[in-house]
Amino acid sequence: MLRLSGITKTYPTPQGPLRVLDSVDLELAAGESLALMGESGSGKSTLLHLAAGLDLPDSGSVELDGQRLSALSEPARASLRRHRLGLVFQQFHLVPSLSVRDNLTLQARLAGRDDRAWTDHLLARLGLDGLDDRYPEQLSGGQQQRLAIGRALAPRPQLLLADEPTGNLDEAVADQVLALLQTLIDESGCALLVVTHSTRVAAPMGRRLRLARGRLLEPGR
Amino acid sequence: MSAVMRTTLATLLSHYRPHPGQLLMLLLGLWVASALWSGVQAINASARESYARAEALFSSDLDHVERRDDAPLTLDDYLALRRAGVPVSPVIEGELELADGESLTLIGIEPLTLPGGTPLARQDADAASLRDWLLPPHRARVAPDSLDLARSDARLPPLEVDSGLPPATLVTDIAVAARLLDKGHRLTRLMIAPNRRVDLPSAFVRTSPAAPASPGQLADSFHLNLTAMGLLALVVGLFIVHAALGLALEQRMGLLRTLRALGVPGRTLVLALGLELLLIGTLGALLGIVSGVILARLLLPDVAATLDALYDATVSGSLTLPWHYWVGGFAITLGGLVTAGASLLWRASRVSVLALGQVQAWRARLQRQLRVQALVGGLLLGVAALLWWQLGSQPGQRELALGFTLVALLLLGTALWLPPLLGGALHLLTHRLPGRAVLSQWAVADLQLQLPRLSLAMMALLLALSANLGVGSMVGGFRLTFLDWLDQRLLADLYVRPPADQAGELHEWLRQRPEVDTLLPTRQAETRLIDERGEASPVTLFGIAPEPILRRHWPLLDTLDGREAAWAALTREAAFVNEQLARRHGLEPGDVLRLKASRGVVTMQIAAVYPDYGNPRGEIVLPVSRLAARFDAPPGTLGVVLAPTQAREQALDRLRGALAQRFTLLGDAAMIDQQALKRTATEVFERTFAITRALNALTLGVAGLALLTTLLAQAETRRAQLAPLWALGVSRGRLVGLQLVQLVGAALGTALLAIPLGLLLAGVLVAVINVAAFGWRLPLHLFPGQMLLTLVLAALVAALAALLPAWRLWRIPPRQLLQEFAAE
Repeated sequence: MLRLSGITKTYPTPQGPLRVLDSVDLELAAGESLALMGESGSGKSTLLHLAAGLDLPDSGSVELDGQRLSALSEPARASLRRHRLGLVFQQFHLVPSLSVRDNLTLQARLAGRDDRAWTDHLLARLGLDGLDDRYPEQLSGGQQQRLAIGRALAPRPQLLLADEPTGNLDEAVADQVLALLQTLIDESGCALLVVTHSTRVAAPMGRRLRLARGRLLEPGR
Repeated sequence: MSAVMRTTLATLLSHYRPHPGQLLMLLLGLWVASALWSGVQAINASARESYARAEALFSSDLDHVERRDDAPLTLDDYLALRRAGVPVSPVIEGELELADGESLTLIGIEPLTLPGGTPLARQDADAASLRDWLLPPHRARVAPDSLDLARSDARLPPLEVDSGLPPATLVTDIAVAARLLDKGHRLTRLMIAPNRRVDLPSAFVRTSPAAPASPGQLADSFHLNLTAMGLLALVVGLFIVHAALGLALEQRMGLLRTLRALGVPGRTLVLALGLELLLIGTLGALLGIVSGVILARLLLPDVAATLDALYDATVSGSLTLPWHYWVGGFAITLGGLVTAGASLLWRASRVSVLALGQVQAWRARLQRQLRVQALVGGLLLGVAALLWWQLGSQPGQRELALGFTLVALLLLGTALWLPPLLGGALHLLTHRLPGRAVLSQWAVADLQLQLPRLSLAMMALLLALSANLGVGSMVGGFRLTFLDWLDQRLLADLYVRPPADQAGELHEWLRQRPEVDTLLPTRQAETRLIDERGEASPVTLFGIAPEPILRRHWPLLDTLDGREAAWAALTREAAFVNEQLARRHGLEPGDVLRLKASRGVVTMQIAAVYPDYGNPRGEIVLPVSRLAARFDAPPGTLGVVLAPTQAREQALDRLRGALAQRFTLLGDAAMIDQQALKRTATEVFERTFAITRALNALTLGVAGLALLTTLLAQAETRRAQLAPLWALGVSRGRLVGLQLVQLVGAALGTALLAIPLGLLLAGVLVAVINVAAFGWRLPLHLFPGQMLLTLVLAALVAALAALLPAWRLWRIPPRQLLQEFAAE
């Protein structure tokens, strides 16, 4: 469902152009889970941004279900993100002025797919039932990340893209969140691409790849 | 509305739920900006409506019939013309003094001969109403806003309301008007329909009416001045709006990026922000316009009195607002909001979805913006200097609009320079502070960081302070000059206005009185000044007696060969002209005046130009004897100078008593002592500038609000910056003190720039705006007290604005400060 072919991306820096991704090829099938590992600055977040259509590659192509993202206009890419992708960030990026329920349904409402039964189910599965009138600042870090995962899953996306989803949590809470993420992914049948530097996060994924200096390596190399 | 737009808008608006103060400040900014602007415009719209009614009444396109020998028209002339088959209609016009000192313009018409379709004739008159009009007790028509005034006079016939009439105007049958105005058989005008081609008897001539009785350029200038003040308030208010919007956007930068990541297109996001602006703008404009109307209701009586006293323009004391006032008020508020918000919408449209939380990038952009600001500010000041030089090199060509452009350029240019100047001053201070003054060093460095956020509020403060100082200096200088001028012009102890038939006798009687030292008779007449192209314009002739006391004190601005020579020339064949007339016609001592007199045209040389503050008209001064002989001017007010005595008051009382006993002097206006006259003149002066002072104070208040808005809106961010200091052992009280010192310091720095700017502004007002608007130039006075007051006001406004945020910081529980670390 997701195909990246020959992706190259360069950023300008005061010291000259910096090649972040170099001829990267990657495929992800429907329902598959993949962990993309690498050190800081290895280019994994850039790859995630390209996969989400937040940015465009210098060369190569990103295709989602056969649709080439660079051929789409900005509003069309935004629409694709709204309807078919779910995004989870390390910093959660919840809306502080919206309640737990409103945060959870934000993307679903943007996509015009607000389903109350599904929202209630998600709230219960995330352990946030009874907290739906609270605001993000009244939640713990673990609860906030669970809410962010719920927001990404609420519009029933085909692909979930997660950037260091447990990077801000302690190990115990991170394990809980990860387990929950895995369960919900299995239940919903959507594909998952996680970028992380943690082997604990990568371990339960169906496939693991490593990114180093902008090039994709087999794990262990 | 699509689901994306609906959800985006709701999410954006949800920001104000935890930040109600920000929304309140946004609305407050819009409210005050719109209220002051709308208030001024409501006053202007009402005045213009009054002028329009007057113009509609007096600018009928009927022709006039006059006597060839310029003699006043009488009933006999009317009868002779009618007998000759000329369909003329007579009109009598005059001022009717009411018992309480007010007056009404009374117009007497003859409805049976009045050509149809003229504004003076009632369009819906039927036979019954015509009968009521013609037969005793007759009828009189009056505008609704002057009904109460007319009702107070029992001499008037039963009143009918006519909304087409201008304020303070009464139309009635000619017989009633002749009786009330004591006109006898004299008529003011004979009118004839322009399309009636008839041969006139040889003694008469047909003329087209002169320009309508519009309030003229001077009253327009007054309204322009009001508009400029309103605009200043609008601009300062929009600074608040810009500051509040900027902070709301800055705090929502993360939210905007999240929304983009969740699939909201950039265009939708900008559209939603625009819609949010529109919603808030509509609410603010509504609040502002309603408050503006209330403000105008409060100020209108003073404005009407000023326009009447200064420009002879009658304005209704009640508000009449046309539809375009409401639409205009809305448009200007929303337009201002869009202007204030445009740069923010642009920034929102450029939000990079990848740069989540890049505060540093935003700061770098701000630094670039500051550099551009300084460059644009310098450019504007350069243009201002060129414009001033240009205006200065073309005396008499001073356009009011160019004057206001110069003011705007000066204000805006300096305001743009303020943030870089403050930044530079802080940078210098950082290097001058001793190493051990750790907290002071932190305070200066911290203020540098705060500057981008504070700069807009400080710019608003700069504008308000300099306008306050500039206008204050101009008004203060005007006040000094005016009072001085009053002392020079009002030399008699008592002014007596006798009926025409007693004037000679009264003059003789006063001459015999031992307590009287000098008599200063005056006369007044209206005539026309003929310029080089042969065009005639109306001018007032004022006759004075060139007695030694007058020659000693009467102020002169310019003479041909000095004071003595000027007075000597006046007693021969020369004349003096007032400054207004000289500027309007480009006249100077030595030039020759051509005046229409009762027997042809007379010429006389200008011996001097004199100041004549408060008089909207061009005036020529001649000796009374010459005025009486050549222009048939009737006797006017007689000034009585008492002989020097220890008991002036008793002597004055004795003379007043004797005068009242011996002569028939009707009404309070017939005998006025100097003190009362000065008191009235000073009251008129104070009232004239009451509105200026009110708007000035309000503008300063608005600037204070801009500062408060900024401080409240950034209070949360500040807490995160102050918490580490608290953790390091600086008490909350000390932190509050530091905050106050920082703000008062920044405000004082702003005031130091506001002082030269205010003085420049006063210079432009005195040398350019006043000359263009009123026709006279005042000397520029500098008031060190007012400069000091500017510094005090700046410190006070800053301290007041900082009080609430400081109090909140002081009361903050330590638990909340600890949370700042948790959030970090």
